[in-house]
Amino acid sequence: MTPICPTRLGSLGPMNPGAEGTTYPEVTFVVDPARVAAFRKVFDQEAGVPPTFLTAAEFAALPAVLADPNLALDFSRVLHGSQEYDYRRPLREGESLRVAARIGSIRQKGGNGFMTVVMEIFGQDGELAATATNVMIERGLE
Amino acid sequence: MSAPPRAGDQIPELRRVVTREDVKAYADAGGDQNPLHQDDAFARRVGFPGILAHGMFTMGHLAACVVAWAGDPAAVIRMTASFRAPVFMGEELVAGGRVRSVDEAAGTATLETWVTVERDGQTEYPIRRGEAVIRRR
Repeated sequence: MTPICPTRLGSLGPMNPGAEGTTYPEVTFVVDPARVAAFRKVFDQEAGVPPTFLTAAEFAALPAVLADPNLALDFSRVLHGSQEYDYRRPLREGESLRVAARIGSIRQKGGNGFMTVVMEIFGQDGELAATATNVMIERGLE
Repeated sequence: MSAPPRAGDQIPELRRVVTREDVKAYADAGGDQNPLHQDDAFARRVGFPGILAHGMFTMGHLAACVVAWAGDPAAVIRMTASFRAPVFMGEELVAGGRVRSVDEAAGTATLETWVTVERDGQTEYPIRRGEAVIRRR
């Protein structure tokens, strides 16, 4: 896993609305059984892949988004606004997935920036397995 | 769930007290190493009294509540959450939900979900009006 670097100094201004619609190169994410087990342990779960484990797949694809100079996001000011997960099928431990990220929308409201990042997660068969939709809030300065 | 769900049914609450150790374990398993969730000095610099739990920590707890009722994580086909309030160390999360509708033809049940904490004599909603859709067969 690549740790993101949230203290990187990004833009001091708002995000670039022109980055809306940007797509990023697909990344591979393996549903590592040891990591699933660690995730289950945090939430005291007995078996299976917890529904929110998809966050780990999102974090595999997020570094490219956060580092995009055209986006001009300052991650040190980001809070998580909302999250949606839609599953076409359960994830299988050990399988390899492809994660395709795109910026769905960028809006400014009340001095804060709102960015929707949509990630489609595909199985090895090329079929869509799940979609993760994440709204990040870039808090305004002051 | 043992009996078929009906609109209006409440699902059993699930409680947990949030600790620094749990939040660090979550950061390692989930991959979000933002210092806002690990470094009190950093959290204070950006206007909070100390570190907060990840929104996804709270949502993960809510998912555990939903899975306990559904009986199987693979039965959860949709989950949504809006993060409305921060959660600080030592606070108790209370996850809950209510069956909003049952679609017999599709074999699904849709829940409205939430997570509350009691703070300064008030009920705060770190997650309010979340949705979970469960496949029943």
